Amino acid sequence: MASYATKVKREIARWREAGMIDAATADALSLDVERNGGGTISFGSILSMMAAALFAAAILIFIAANWEAIPRLGRVTMLFIVIAVGYVGGAEMKLRGREAFGEAAWVVAAAAFGASIALIGQMYHMSGDEKQAIFVWCAGTALAAAVLRSGALTIGAVLLAASWMVMHAVDDWALQLPSAYLAVAAVLYLLTFWTRSAPARHLLLLSLFLFAAFLYARDETFVAPIVLIVLSVALFAFGRLQPAQAERMLGLGSALPVQALVGFLTGVGIMQVELIDEQGFLAVSIVAFAGIIVVLLLAGRESRTLRWLAYAAFIFQICFIYLVMLGTMLGTAGFFVVGGLVLSALAFVITRLERRLSGPQVVEGEWL
Amino acid sequence: MNRRTLFIAGAVAVLQIGFLASMIAGRASILRNGQEVLLSVQPVDPRDLLRGDYVTIGYNISSVPTELFAERPQDERNGRDRTVFVRLRPGEDGIWEAVAARYDEKPEPAPADGELDIRGIATSSWYDEATSINIDYGIERFYVPEGEGRAIEANLRERAFTMTVAVASDGAAQIKSLHDGETMLYAEPLY
Repeated sequence: MASYATKVKREIARWREAGMIDAATADALSLDVERNGGGTISFGSILSMMAAALFAAAILIFIAANWEAIPRLGRVTMLFIVIAVGYVGGAEMKLRGREAFGEAAWVVAAAAFGASIALIGQMYHMSGDEKQAIFVWCAGTALAAAVLRSGALTIGAVLLAASWMVMHAVDDWALQLPSAYLAVAAVLYLLTFWTRSAPARHLLLLSLFLFAAFLYARDETFVAPIVLIVLSVALFAFGRLQPAQAERMLGLGSALPVQALVGFLTGVGIMQVELIDEQGFLAVSIVAFAGIIVVLLLAGRESRTLRWLAYAAFIFQICFIYLVMLGTMLGTAGFFVVGGLVLSALAFVITRLERRLSGPQVVEGEWL
Repeated sequence: MNRRTLFIAGAVAVLQIGFLASMIAGRASILRNGQEVLLSVQPVDPRDLLRGDYVTIGYNISSVPTELFAERPQDERNGRDRTVFVRLRPGEDGIWEAVAARYDEKPEPAPADGELDIRGIATSSWYDEATSINIDYGIERFYVPEGEGRAIEANLRERAFTMTVAVASDGAAQIKSLHDGETMLYAEPLY
């Protein structure tokens, strides 16, 4: 797997040994090549990450089976060995330029850490809170991500934090939903910059949109959706007006308007669902359409992902509003006729738009 | 990325393993030093006690009558999810029973000889009509090897089992052994 990044890193090591650059510069350059030099993610790294996920799942299921053939102290020792070998071995592989394998080994080690927490709970019949266990697992993974500057572990920490939040939401009608998730998310957001993990940053943002929806379920006031809409609009405006600064502060790349649109639609969607059969519904729906069209007109040219998201949202909105406003009057057959007409009209408009927007000068949107 | 990374990775492993080892040491110390109490086991959900790899169980002290409490909680959620200390004393049949309870702190005065305080979390709210408060002590799960759960579940419903529980001086509880009458079914080794 002698990728471009591996080759450049070999050169950097040589330059450093020759005294042409100092250690700090060498580290900075290596890290930059690791994170940005590869271009697309290689097939090998995807496969090794999937293998890591399978190993991780195997470890967790093995623990859950509570297999008595191996004494439990033996099982604990095995997990401890996986942790030690995973972290140190992963670092060793990274040193040898095998980036993907190194990250994968770290993911397995972090999974073994989580499995150990589960095993200890099982050994001592602890009936404590699973949420707390997940939180500890998340904290351990985030710590490892921070000191090892690992992108994969950062993604792991974000997923664990989101699970922690979702577990609160599904329990007890979200009454226990911790507002502290905002603080957790803020810490992880900084972590994504330190580890330069853009995917983790995007996942984190998506989890915040979900959080806003759960907040609405908890409080049943429009504060959360309105704040979400305002912040999404602000995010979009910031990205339009100060692109360089927005990139430096937020690091969302070309997906910034996509994230802003998802956030906006989530906020508006919550309000629409709540206002069905009430007066404000039409007003909010108009805001939704206006938002979609403004985003499409202002930023549609730069990102195909954004355009398709906008089209999908547009179609969804039409169906949704139709069902709410007229559906009861016309019945199913009428719905299909109208739906067919609207879709053909949209198809016509979208093909025209796409032809106009996808010129050779267009920078394709990269999602994640 | 340089040699230092190996050292850092080793440190991460040591830190995580150390944390896990301290969890084990904490539980083992309750088993070794905690005071033993005998509780009677009561099935919680008559239909499906077995959830995944553990059986959910309740105890004779899982539901504490409100009149045993020192005062009614005045918070927004009526005491739900707050720490509760329950004073236990052995009854005539050797099964320990709740004699007093208090939110957040141990009941006054200090426990007499042969009594102790166990710590739990209130899982129900104190409403006007409430006659008892449900409390989780962190010992409501009994993990069983895969496939053995159903048999234990069936037995639990037929007969009264008892559980020996170790209680640390701070009130933390830890399952020690499960008994079916005079027979000991499972005993927890320290590690």
